[in-house]
Amino acid sequence: MDVLLQQLFNGLTIGSVYSLVALGLTLVYGILHIPNFAHGALYMVGAYITYTIMTSLGLHYLLSILTSIIAVGMISVLMERLVFHPLKDSTPIQHKVAAIGMLLFLESFAQLIWGADYQQMETPFGQVIDFFGLTVTMQRLIIVITAVVAMILLYLFLKKTFTGATIIAMAQNREGAHLVGINTNKVAMLTFFISGVLAALGASLTSPINLVFPSMGHLVILKAFVIIIIGGMGSIPGAILGGYIIGFSESIGATYISSDYSDIISFALLVIILTIKPQGIFSKGGV
Amino acid sequence: MLDLKNVSVKYGNFTAIKDINIRVDKGEIVVLLGANGAGKSTTFRTISGLKTPFKGNVLLEDDLIDNKPPDKIVKQGIVQCAEDRKLFPEMSVQENMMMGAYIHRKKKNKIKQTLKEVYKLFPVLYEKRKNPAGSLSGGQQQMLAIGRALMSKPKLMLLDEPSIGLAPLIVEQMFESIKQINKEGTTILLAEQNAHAALSIADKGYVYENGNIVVEGSSKELFANEEVRKAYIGA
Repeated sequence: MDVLLQQLFNGLTIGSVYSLVALGLTLVYGILHIPNFAHGALYMVGAYITYTIMTSLGLHYLLSILTSIIAVGMISVLMERLVFHPLKDSTPIQHKVAAIGMLLFLESFAQLIWGADYQQMETPFGQVIDFFGLTVTMQRLIIVITAVVAMILLYLFLKKTFTGATIIAMAQNREGAHLVGINTNKVAMLTFFISGVLAALGASLTSPINLVFPSMGHLVILKAFVIIIIGGMGSIPGAILGGYIIGFSESIGATYISSDYSDIISFALLVIILTIKPQGIFSKGGV
Repeated sequence: MLDLKNVSVKYGNFTAIKDINIRVDKGEIVVLLGANGAGKSTTFRTISGLKTPFKGNVLLEDDLIDNKPPDKIVKQGIVQCAEDRKLFPEMSVQENMMMGAYIHRKKKNKIKQTLKEVYKLFPVLYEKRKNPAGSLSGGQQQMLAIGRALMSKPKLMLLDEPSIGLAPLIVEQMFESIKQINKEGTTILLAEQNAHAALSIADKGYVYENGNIVVEGSSKELFANEEVRKAYIGA
């Protein structure tokens, strides 16, 4: 029983990070109508920036995260302006090529600056605490709380403010958004900013329990794709639910089947869920 | 109020409309008649800024608007109900209406007042305010498209085929509502294939054929015009 609870908590931790990454991916899908392959690279850059600020400037972990998420948000906006915006009248395949190009560029860039070595990110929250009878590290607790708070804030922003609603509106009907007087350029930039912020936040939170390296985004972004396909492309509740489904099944699977297979589980789930519900779980629901 | 002067629009090499001249005065209902693909929707897309004219000018109250982006044009008081309605299908009816008031987003009280007025005009939208827009019937979706457009308090409303795909009884109600909206002070430019109904509420009209305006005149003149009767009214 203890092992199960422990694994459920681990699942909650991993799931929180997956949800954050998948949320950014699903929001940008609403703008680009293609999955942004470079999203995993933003995740990786987010981890490196946090790491660099901590080690070279000596800033506190949380302050470094704050700086990093803003920086990656800006990089994401730049990517929209310089790469995707000029392509707005071209075909989806060109968007995909551009996104893959950005991914390769950012990864090589990281390798050039930080090298290919694995880096360990320190955290001031390494202490082990007793949480309702579970032995957990403070870091994992912080991951879960921060992620949930970020998701609630995002939900309120999208649902309760005019500016947030424009993101949803543009995803549902771009010309409709034009016709009610929404400046779609601003919405696209805002969406990319939020998406970059979420990626950097997810990466910076999870780095102290994983490692930082140039290709760290690969597996995460693949799983984020699985998540938004399961949840329904562009669906926000789908991204959150999908993130936790994958998080829980991985940690449970790692314990009761084999930890060697934990990465396969999400792809097996994808096959099963799409066989039963080919459109994804939230295909028609939306926010 | 609105002037199109020698406007030509191209899609690639294809000229969709050629040397179009249209004048809409304040308080009028003006109708554009013509078959599918004659250029009515292209004219609307050009006025709304979704398409830039290849040649010619669009003026709103003597202000050049043909190079402005769509959101600026809405701010200047021209709003369009497109032919395929362009609603936000997964948002509720009320959320759609609120997005219609996007340009007035800082004036919360004014929005509430306008919302009340629109619900009064289309009571069925009030009943369905919590339902997703995609779940409404065709007629209700059209009402929502018009309602959402009204939320921006436009000077000029462009209505692209509001009667398309609707049952005859609903069409009649739709034209009643359009007349009502006009009476309350909104100038209306209407594209229609249902020429009889459209001309009966309009002040004047233009007839499109293959991207050109071939006949123009007051509603009376168009009703009396033998060719127009044959081609579009069918009597």
